[in-house]
Amino acid sequence: MHIPDGFLSAPVATTTWVLAGAGIAAALRAEKRDPAPVPAGILGSLAAFVFAAQMVNIPVAPGTSGHLVGATLAAMLVGPWRAMIAMTAVLAIQAVFFQDGGLTAFGANLLDMGVAGSFVGFSVAALVARAVRGLRGYAVGAVVGAFAATLTGAVLTSLWLSLSGLYPLRGILPLMLTTHSAIGLLEAGLTGSILATVLRWRPDLVAGPTGAGNLRRPTAITIGLTGLALLIAAFLAPFASRLPDGLERTAADLGFSGRAAPLLPAALEGSALFSGRLAPFVPVLAGLVGTLLVSALAWAAARGLSRTSDASHR
Amino acid sequence: MPRIVRRPGLVLAIGFAAVLAAAIAPAGLNHGPIPAASWGIWVSVLAFSLATFRGSGIPARQALRRLVWLLPLIALLTLPAALLAAPGGRLAVGFGLAARALAATGAGAALAAWLGPQGFLEATRQLKVPDRLVHVLAAALGSLVVVAHQVRAMLRAREARRPGYGPWASILASPRQTARGFGRLSAALLLRSLERAEALDRARRARGIGEP
Repeated sequence: MHIPDGFLSAPVATTTWVLAGAGIAAALRAEKRDPAPVPAGILGSLAAFVFAAQMVNIPVAPGTSGHLVGATLAAMLVGPWRAMIAMTAVLAIQAVFFQDGGLTAFGANLLDMGVAGSFVGFSVAALVARAVRGLRGYAVGAVVGAFAATLTGAVLTSLWLSLSGLYPLRGILPLMLTTHSAIGLLEAGLTGSILATVLRWRPDLVAGPTGAGNLRRPTAITIGLTGLALLIAAFLAPFASRLPDGLERTAADLGFSGRAAPLLPAALEGSALFSGRLAPFVPVLAGLVGTLLVSALAWAAARGLSRTSDASHR
Repeated sequence: MPRIVRRPGLVLAIGFAAVLAAAIAPAGLNHGPIPAASWGIWVSVLAFSLATFRGSGIPARQALRRLVWLLPLIALLTLPAALLAAPGGRLAVGFGLAARALAATGAGAALAAWLGPQGFLEATRQLKVPDRLVHVLAAALGSLVVVAHQVRAMLRAREARRPGYGPWASILASPRQTARGFGRLSAALLLRSLERAEALDRARRARGIGEP
């Protein structure tokens, strides 16, 4: 999944570097505010372990091999922000000293493996751990989270390569998702297996989704889930079926589909902005804007409800 | 005796600029011919990389061997892009992409050879990378050698116990057992690494040295 130098266009490389830089800055800031600091030596050792585990390629299917990415495992051990810092160190060392992943592609690789791996994996694990209580929930959550994180990384890699003009997204995305499903199963199995052993011998080392080291947990979960929603909205919207859904089909069968009228006029429909070269990006843009709006509304509603609830208890 | 690099921050910045120049030079993906300037950049960067390898004491043959093992990955990404290019331009796109990737990767490898781990860490400090990140990088680089030795020792011990039965040799035949074996091996490695780091941290605190 490491993208080497020479395969990303200048705008994609720049954008991913900026996004990854912002992510690193946020992680360093969040970690600084944490009242229970973790020594740099521990994070460095964790990074060295992830590095060593990534060196071992395991055959998954004919012509496909995979290795442990380790970001979800690291997030379960030390929390998502610290996992991101450890993954930054891993990917930087790999890019500089082993040319495993390019220097110009460092931002893209960090977003694919560090950010997606830590936050998506951790968010999914936290949700599962709420349903399955106890240490077993941690392990099951990590397994599901690792699988989700691998697929998210595959989607992001496809996107960067496609935006760089190498392959069409419709061609590369199904291929990447197919191969990474097998790799994701491996990642999930290994993450669960390692975490189960660590939980058995040194459960104190696992911060987990409810651990003391994750005081910023709600923020991390929110960022992870919003990111996941944005990914789905952006990348799956263009692949949505053009066929009518059940209600539209029924309306067409009963002959009243023509009576449907929009509540609000589509102000930008047919404008110059949404025609020509920008046309293929309209579903992506619509998906992103819609998800952001819904997220903002949900956040405002939750905030309002929690204030009301607090006031009623006073 | 490690070589001392003067102004490592500047070296890292120049090296990164060389990688960037090679990596973003047009490779004919927009259905046009590859500009002569692109070939000029790639050849210059490759020549610069080989000279840097030589300057850092690495023979050209060894430097080329370092680049050759990257070829399978480059080919894996280049071939589909070349096949998808417009008919007539496929060969040019294939060669262009491969040359671009090789030149950029070669520059990165030469930069690493010139700086070395110490020079790289010093360069990150000079370029004002946040201290916390530099400390984690230093700790990770320091732990790598120990972890690599531990991995080798554990694999040797496993091989001695069950000759010819590697931890991931039969993932297709018995995936559950293999994953469990790999998990235990990795978990033991992880625990040893973290316990070593904890011991080092305790020793540092006992000597009155604070958290870096």
